[in-house]
Amino acid sequence: MTDRLSILVPIRVLEGESVPEGVPELLAHAHVVLLGYHVIPEQTAPGQARMQFEDRATERLDEYQEMFEDAGATVERRLVFTHNGQKTIDRMIAEHDCMAVLVPNATGPVEDVLVPVRGAIGVDRLARVVASVFGEMDADVTLYHVADEDTTDDDIQTLLGGLADRLAEFGMDPSTIETRIDRDQNPLDAIVDVSDGFDTVVMGETDPSLATFVFGMPADQVANRFLGPVFVAQRERPSADEDE
Amino acid sequence: MSPAGGFIRQVGIFCHMAEQPVDVDPAGENIAGEAPAEEPEAVTDDTVVHDDDVELERTIGLVGGLAIGIGTMIGAGIFVFPGLAAANAGLAATLSFAIGGLIALLVALPTSELATAMPRSGGGYYFISRGMGTAYGAIVGLGLWLGLMFASAFYLVGLGHYASAVFAELGIGLPFSPVIGIGLLFGVALTALSIGGTENTAKLQNVVVGVLLVVLTGFLSYGVLDAVGVFGGGTVPEQFFSRGYFRVLTTAALVFTSYLGFAQVATVAGEIKQPSRNLPLAMVGSVLIVTVFYVVTIFVATSAFGAERLGEFGETAMVEVARDFLGLPGAVAILGAGLLATFSSANASILSASRAVYALSRDALLPRKASEVNLRYGTPHVALLSAGGPILVLVATGRVELLAEVASFLHLIMYGLMCIALLVLRRRNPEWYSPSYRVPGYPLVPVVGALASFGLIVFMQPASIGIGVVVMLASYLWYRYYAGDVTLKGDI
Repeated sequence: MTDRLSILVPIRVLEGESVPEGVPELLAHAHVVLLGYHVIPEQTAPGQARMQFEDRATERLDEYQEMFEDAGATVERRLVFTHNGQKTIDRMIAEHDCMAVLVPNATGPVEDVLVPVRGAIGVDRLARVVASVFGEMDADVTLYHVADEDTTDDDIQTLLGGLADRLAEFGMDPSTIETRIDRDQNPLDAIVDVSDGFDTVVMGETDPSLATFVFGMPADQVANRFLGPVFVAQRERPSADEDE
Repeated sequence: MSPAGGFIRQVGIFCHMAEQPVDVDPAGENIAGEAPAEEPEAVTDDTVVHDDDVELERTIGLVGGLAIGIGTMIGAGIFVFPGLAAANAGLAATLSFAIGGLIALLVALPTSELATAMPRSGGGYYFISRGMGTAYGAIVGLGLWLGLMFASAFYLVGLGHYASAVFAELGIGLPFSPVIGIGLLFGVALTALSIGGTENTAKLQNVVVGVLLVVLTGFLSYGVLDAVGVFGGGTVPEQFFSRGYFRVLTTAALVFTSYLGFAQVATVAGEIKQPSRNLPLAMVGSVLIVTVFYVVTIFVATSAFGAERLGEFGETAMVEVARDFLGLPGAVAILGAGLLATFSSANASILSASRAVYALSRDALLPRKASEVNLRYGTPHVALLSAGGPILVLVATGRVELLAEVASFLHLIMYGLMCIALLVLRRRNPEWYSPSYRVPGYPLVPVVGALASFGLIVFMQPASIGIGVVVMLASYLWYRYYAGDVTLKGDI
């Protein structure tokens, strides 16, 4: 096995999605789990789609795999025909122990990384993703927190300082790490506004709740509005089998 | 103790299926030079694996499996047959439904074993072609495809009756019977919807089945209380076997169409999550649930009116029963439920027919072209059209009982052969055959299941048997002509 962290890169391989510019370089230090998937309607058996589309999809994945490997990544790949794309992505995360999922959007060379931090939960995993992907790149990392009224400066310093320490422990140069704090704003809007000045965003996954059910995951919303690539660090998953 | 008790215990024990190898090697090619698609390398709880890194995701859970089974079955047994059955067998129609349920259970148990050993798309066709060879497989596979067309047509005519009843309820007098016209209209609409629609219909199916079960449970609870005299109505005293014993069996043969759905669960076996657990539970569970609903429904319906009058109401008798209990709101509720139920049954059958075409074309028994997926919608338009077209012709005949019996005939042949396939596989015990669920009461259950399936055919109308035999013969001749060199049997 490898010391590199596994990052899942899901691509709807038959619907014109491809590996955007800059993404292979972004993942040069990662172990890429390249998932080509094709979502089919329920009227169609997955095997039926495979008979017809496997060759075409494989051809494209070969090409993408080469792009990642040329950039320096190690690659493992899967081609999945499914009725439910989310289930497939979730299964890949679990089976390949992926620390983060990349929402692939085009980017230039990465110089500035934005890391919005919500709270202390999941900070460790966030730190591991940032350190392992960007540790050997020459990039500046900005830890960002949008505070509400009740949070004191001390609290925020503890949170962001703790994360900075973790990053240093993982071998990142402390001089490349900055912190930034905003107050009294809608966190989501604030993150999207600030992200304008950055090349990529790394953020944690939110626990599902009613709000995420209605409005979607904040990470997905950021990914939709921020036009660059977004890493979504996965929360720790219970190993118990889920069932309907 | 019923077989179900032991069954559920047995299913509860195994929790996880490791990667299970698949060791069947189809060979040969058909007249067009197409060879059967290669078999997958392995099946897991979540996928079917091809070539190491290509996977087919399993996405249907237990609830979805039950919804397919119940949704396919409940349209017929409750909303079309009660009047017809009561006219044929009197109060003893209750027994006819119980007999049908028993036979279905006797087949569902062996089917569960086969399905956990071979959780692949194609269901009964797949088990029989791998267990007994291509000729049997072709007869069953093509028969299943046509049988599902007959079943869909039957549901669509039933739907036509319910839609006509809505017109009658609204006081709109039509100078002609709109039953067949409406059936045709919905047939066209369903086919078009299946080809062009990409909405998540499985979720909808789950909701529809849930709503139906709630409406029926409420309605039947009231009916049972009424029948035993709680509301002062009391049962119309009547002789149980008013039409004689023989009629009980012919009626059982007629209403057996109400029990075809569990095999449709096996048709999508390749898409069921944790197949070793969910397949047996979904198949046996759906049979048990609908049997209870059917028997109670007939009991309540015949109690309300007596078999004689119930028979006069024909296909939409349940609407009159509901009106008798609960007035206009009851009639409206059952009308709505009947529309939903027959629609969902027709829809499920058309989709299963398309899956059957895929399984046949994958194995080179039909042209590869038949399972082609169109680029725009990602749906198998050739398979859907080749089911939808003949269905319209069948709907146009408007012969509810004939359509039902031919559908049952073709399924019963498959059921009997599935039981035999199980006996063959158990005796030869090939290396690749390792079901995680084993049928209780072997060999008695599959033997009785096979005998009962073939036996029930004897009680059908001669016309139905005739059409069924012609379909089987044609299927065999097609196999000899088109794919005589194809071998699908697993190494045994």
